[in-house]
Amino acid sequence: MARAQAQAEQPQPTTGMTLIVMVGLAIAFLLLMAFLNVIKSGNLLSETNLLFATLIFYSGAGALYLGFGVTGTELYVKFASLATWLGLIANTAAVAHRWYEAGHAPFSSVYEMLLSFVWTLAVLTLVAEKKFGVKVIGTVTMPVAIVGVVLMQLLRTEVHPLVPALQSTWLHVHVTLAMLAYAACALSFALAMMFLIQDNMKTETFLAVTSASTLAIYVGVVFTRFEKWGGLSLVAWDPERKSEVFISKGVRLFVNVPDLGWLMTLTLLVVASPLFFYGLARWKKNDSFLTLANRAVFLSILLQVMALVMFVVRANDARYPSLDADGLFPTSLAASPFILSGLVGGVFISLLYLLLLWRRPDLGRLLPSADNLDRITYKTICLAFPLLTLMIAAGAYWANQTWGSYWSWDPKETWAAITWLVYALYLHMRITRGWRGRRAAYFAIAGFAVVMFTFFGVTYLLPGLHAYA
Amino acid sequence: MALDFRAVGHKMWRTVASIQTGVVLLILVVIFAAVGTIVLQRPVTEPDEMQSAYSPQALRILDAVGLTDVFHSWWFLGLMLLVSLCIVAASIDRFPNSWRFFSRPYKYPDESFRRASHPQKSLAIADEETGLVAAERALHSLGFKPERVVREDHFGIFAERHRVSELAVYIVHASLLLIFFGTIVDGLWGWGGTLNLNEGQTSNIVELRDGTMRTLPFAIRCDSAGQENYKDGTPKKWWSKLAVVKDGQDVQKKEIVVNDPLLYSGVRFYQASYGPNSKVEKFSLVATPSDGSGQKQEIGLAVNDTVPLDADTTVRFAEFFPDYAVRDGQVYKKSNYLDNPAAHLVVTSKRAGKDFDVWLPPLVEVADNSKAPYQFQASDLKMGHFTGLQVSHEPGQWGVWSGVMLLGVGLAFVFYVVHMRFWAVPVCDPKTGKCSLWIGGSANRNRDAFEQRFNDLVGLVEEDLKTVPNASPREQVASLAGIEARELKLGN
Repeated sequence: MARAQAQAEQPQPTTGMTLIVMVGLAIAFLLLMAFLNVIKSGNLLSETNLLFATLIFYSGAGALYLGFGVTGTELYVKFASLATWLGLIANTAAVAHRWYEAGHAPFSSVYEMLLSFVWTLAVLTLVAEKKFGVKVIGTVTMPVAIVGVVLMQLLRTEVHPLVPALQSTWLHVHVTLAMLAYAACALSFALAMMFLIQDNMKTETFLAVTSASTLAIYVGVVFTRFEKWGGLSLVAWDPERKSEVFISKGVRLFVNVPDLGWLMTLTLLVVASPLFFYGLARWKKNDSFLTLANRAVFLSILLQVMALVMFVVRANDARYPSLDADGLFPTSLAASPFILSGLVGGVFISLLYLLLLWRRPDLGRLLPSADNLDRITYKTICLAFPLLTLMIAAGAYWANQTWGSYWSWDPKETWAAITWLVYALYLHMRITRGWRGRRAAYFAIAGFAVVMFTFFGVTYLLPGLHAYA
Repeated sequence: MALDFRAVGHKMWRTVASIQTGVVLLILVVIFAAVGTIVLQRPVTEPDEMQSAYSPQALRILDAVGLTDVFHSWWFLGLMLLVSLCIVAASIDRFPNSWRFFSRPYKYPDESFRRASHPQKSLAIADEETGLVAAERALHSLGFKPERVVREDHFGIFAERHRVSELAVYIVHASLLLIFFGTIVDGLWGWGGTLNLNEGQTSNIVELRDGTMRTLPFAIRCDSAGQENYKDGTPKKWWSKLAVVKDGQDVQKKEIVVNDPLLYSGVRFYQASYGPNSKVEKFSLVATPSDGSGQKQEIGLAVNDTVPLDADTTVRFAEFFPDYAVRDGQVYKKSNYLDNPAAHLVVTSKRAGKDFDVWLPPLVEVADNSKAPYQFQASDLKMGHFTGLQVSHEPGQWGVWSGVMLLGVGLAFVFYVVHMRFWAVPVCDPKTGKCSLWIGGSANRNRDAFEQRFNDLVGLVEEDLKTVPNASPREQVASLAGIEARELKLGN
């Protein structure tokens, strides 16, 4: 991620080869280091090494895709997909290794789900690129995959045996379908966004949307975790048992990281400023405020990076006091994966906006036509919808086998049904009412927002039976 | 008046069957379902948790409008019924049209259709028969079965594939209704609850999810139950050996595990949990006389057992608390979890003429351990185990599962099976005598891919018209000789 970021801010390379040579050298160097390490440890195909190789190749691919997004040099894409292929091989090996070691499909912990999700994402990226010719898609998906692999390093768990309720083929079917369906929804979202770019949506509208999303992340973090005297609450982590610390059943122990709350609040204010200037520009009908807003985005990226770095430094393997109990308790990045991915995601969203701001004409040239994107979005949803249906059905069948009830309206189930209904509405509007273009794209985006809420929001905000995931 | 009624009825029908109504209803379902996940729901929340989350007034309002139990409220059920009604009405409204389309395929395109159709292509042909044969062959090679359509004054070629795709959306809607029907049947006649059995216990009373009890016409006995662990101590498997007892007879026996229930007369028993119950199977103690004389003894007790320690001393295991608390000189049971156990022994001594309350651990407020003639030390506590069963009766689930399967099939047809039609009509201009072959096609979905296929077909026909293969099908054609003669001439 850090490398990809550096790449985005770099001026355009003089020749197309520069970046490729640089990325190639970096990959070769890292592989050499890894290889030396492997020789020392004597275990070539351990999961750590495979994941490391995955990370290296995906990072290389991400940098090259981003380079393609920025410069539009076709050559980058060839090398980027080569790197993606190599990363995918390593990723597949890691999945297979995990599967072999655990004796069950790798879906039973957040770590294993991420492993599968990243794999699916890489496959879909290659499919979208080769089959539909959406070359720039890697610019969006590869960084997400990189974030996934980094998160995996943090959430790394030992092979856990399955508790009785999870020993069911139907569960594996259910989770596989869920991963596929959600990846297809993610793809339809990215395509809908690209459609909006090709449909000549105003750049400042993207400014408003990206700033609002980043703002939402910080509002979420600050309003739920800001503690007295400017601290930030994080879940305590037991490094020996590799799990969160619970005071009593279902109640987590929080530690208070001093001063980090103030930094988050400051970042929140700066992140809010582009939106403020945008509002001002709309209200006063004065476009000079937009220039200010764009500068504010740049500033907000710097601050977000700082907040991220401080968060990583402070929250990783340190001990802090708690408001609920006496003494110092350890916490770790692994205890706050969602705050971490939120912060990384915020940086990433803002960077994507900068990419659009600076390279819009090039992007317009690189992306397929609006009509094509509209059609591909629809096709992706035609793929996602049956997958969603089967996912819900398999889940219901499993629940019936395990708890004796196929539908109990627990929040995750309900939200899965809501997701299904939203996409059903999309299909009805499209097929019977002939919704095309913008309205359909907004719908696809809304659908993905619901998917994200079902995936993350429900797990962390609403309690229910799905405690395993 | 009657006419007015009919008009009103017609209007209502149009409203119910319209897509707008469907969309509005679905949006309402989405909103209320979302509310149901945000507001705490009575069936899955402890009452005191509800009270601490909302003020009494808010709670009264929420209860009154049913927001604390959205998914069982009458208005949510009503909404689902309206959705079903809307699906039925919309399907009935549109079905006759689709059925006409399905049962009477449009085989010969008339002139106005030909003009508006897309994609289409006209190819110059020597005469009608040549064009038709070429089209037939091209369609054959693409895997279609072309059919000659002969009307009084005109003729053409028609080929199609997957006509059933036109009805796929009704399969989907019917399957949804089937699923709704199944869940409604379960909602009305189904029930579910839990039954916890200690090893050796027989019971026919199930505690339902709403807290009421249900008596089964037969009883279930748990002969034994157990747990297998992984090496690291996490549970791997729970099992229970169950027997169905009816009129004093064992009518069915099965060892159930998680995901493999016992089914008897429509009632399913699922292994849901396993664990120690709050009953002591055997409490082992070492008793030593307080005055230092005599031997240590090992004794084992279940609750209410009395064991003699010497000629005039007995000990009774009076009470057991799996999780105790002491308040105001009284011992209370805090919970049923084996967290913090306490045992109450009563030592009766004839010599002293009184009872001594011995507590393990020695609870200062209530125990007189030190005065008792014997001192006790716990050596082992063996708890009984219970097996937790989920019991459910779901008469409608067959509707649900068959609906789900039908839904899968329907969706596969809706999204991936395309009804494709091709027409080929030779058109001759009566003035000039020049003929052309009009080729048209239509697909009900995935039109861009279809256009590719259409172009392939046109390419094949063109090729066929250009080359002069000596293929056998031509020999069947009456005007064969003429064509060959002409083309031979061209070749020269």
